[in-house]
Amino acid sequence: MNKFLSIVSFAWQRALTFRFTIFMYRFGEIAESVVLCIMWIAIYAGSGDGVSLIKGFTVQEMVTYIFIGNILTAFTRSYSTATIARDIFDGTLSMSLVKPISYIRYVFYDRFGATLLVLLTAIVGQLIASVFFLDYIIFNPDLMYLLVIVAMLFLAYLTEFLLNTIIGTVAFWVDDVDGLFSMTDRVRRFFAGGYFPLSILPTGLAFVATLLPFAYTFYVPAQLYLQKISIKEGIIGLGIQIVWIALLYMLLKFIWNRGIRKYEGVGL
Amino acid sequence: MQTIIHIKNLVKEFEVVKKQKGLAASFLSLFKREKIFVKAIKDISFDIKEGELVGFLGPNGAGKTTTLKILSGIVYPTSGEVTTLGYIPSERKEKFQKQFALVMGQKNQLPRAMPAMDGFLLIKAIYEIPDAEFNATLEELTELLDITSFLDIPVRKLSLGQRMKCELVAALLHGPKVLLLDEPTIGLDVTAQKNIREFIKKYNREKKTTIILTSHYMDDIKELCERVIIINHGEVVYDGKLALLMEKYAPHKTISITTSISLHIEKLKSYGELIQNEEFAAVFKVARADAKHLAARLIESDLGVEDILIHEASIDDVVRHIFSQKSEAKI
Repeated sequence: MNKFLSIVSFAWQRALTFRFTIFMYRFGEIAESVVLCIMWIAIYAGSGDGVSLIKGFTVQEMVTYIFIGNILTAFTRSYSTATIARDIFDGTLSMSLVKPISYIRYVFYDRFGATLLVLLTAIVGQLIASVFFLDYIIFNPDLMYLLVIVAMLFLAYLTEFLLNTIIGTVAFWVDDVDGLFSMTDRVRRFFAGGYFPLSILPTGLAFVATLLPFAYTFYVPAQLYLQKISIKEGIIGLGIQIVWIALLYMLLKFIWNRGIRKYEGVGL
Repeated sequence: MQTIIHIKNLVKEFEVVKKQKGLAASFLSLFKREKIFVKAIKDISFDIKEGELVGFLGPNGAGKTTTLKILSGIVYPTSGEVTTLGYIPSERKEKFQKQFALVMGQKNQLPRAMPAMDGFLLIKAIYEIPDAEFNATLEELTELLDITSFLDIPVRKLSLGQRMKCELVAALLHGPKVLLLDEPTIGLDVTAQKNIREFIKKYNREKKTTIILTSHYMDDIKELCERVIIINHGEVVYDGKLALLMEKYAPHKTISITTSISLHIEKLKSYGELIQNEEFAAVFKVARADAKHLAARLIESDLGVEDILIHEASIDDVVRHIFSQKSEAKI
């Protein structure tokens, strides 16, 4: 526990020395939320008085979806890919490998700390942005729903961390994983419902999306918040997440153990 | 004394991707890459006992750093026996890792954006160092290395010498029994080098820590190491006392004379191998055993010798000589 707290606290201290970066990221997120909201409000307005629902979403639900989703994404992003790939590529990994803590565990604590800070600042950012759209925001104080959402988010964090770490680990074999990360990031954002609610998709594709882990980082918890799906569906989702975590964990172990044998500790 | 480090018939191969020069080759390499295996270490064996401070020498690419990385468990050996403190390094057992430290002159463990003190506290948590022990060690080390004044400045703002001192402290906070130092003085000015060197000497003497040191600065080796291991082309070419190395590989001495009368080159040549001459000065090269005899002859000669100096080849010369040997021609 001491190790965990120290590493998290160190991650915070380090992140806080880069306050410019923090401000710029939040600024980008706020701008994105505002633009998406303006866009959707315009679409609803433009579709005439007759249509107040698009694929079952009212304009209020759509705007709330965007704000809640952005806070959720801030939490489930783990940023471990770049850290790991860089450490492998430039040989910094060497200095971590000699320490009496597993490297992956260290990165997990460190990135978790960084993410917590991002989450806190993202909430503040989204609250600021939501001031402009107060009339559109829906509040859900249902405790049961909130509990399932929190559990789902934690598991979503784990799946994202494992996936990002696996991608980072590919750097043992190739020099640069930016392309791979960017590719999977787009696919993930799509299947997470980050561009639009997944219910807009054809039923078949939407079903596939619920079997993948990505929907649980954004779409499903946002739907839970809007109470558009039941608690039961939420709990089934948690089960799907756990299966994914087990699979990804085994895959990571397998890849890591092979990669580390190939590691040359270059840069010297 | 107990054997702390044991290496037997160590071999390490690396896979390297080749790319021909030019843009066209770069495009081609998108689809087809030629791989070759490079033997960084062909056959290395040595043992190091508790408390020894061994100099590990070799030209660039000889396999020094690779050997140190294998000893610390960073890379896996291709074959051969390696134990450090009785542990197999590549298993990376926590118990083992808490007893050794690695310092690389060109690689930092302290995060650059943060002050050293914050880095130390992180290390304290990771190594689970008790408060009292941490405070005592930190106080001792910061005083010895005189770094108290810049502990709260971000590491990246420090000079290279200051940073290296901080890196040393970071590596020693947990009181390692084995310390691997890879080029700890690289890029430092003469004073900073000397400070680090003196610190290492003192630390080794007081703590009985087993130390392997690699350095390109022969002064470091001369000052610190009684025993040296020299490797070249992935093989051990010398393992023994530094003093014996000189006798073995510096078979010649030089004798310099200054004279009161002008010298004739033909006459000088009759005394021995001449390597340099001016009007009132000359330098001879002579076999170690014959040096005394030639010196006596020169003084008694009619050359008008006013001053005579017998000079022994420096370690630098000897090591340069060994480094330049081809891999086939074993010494």
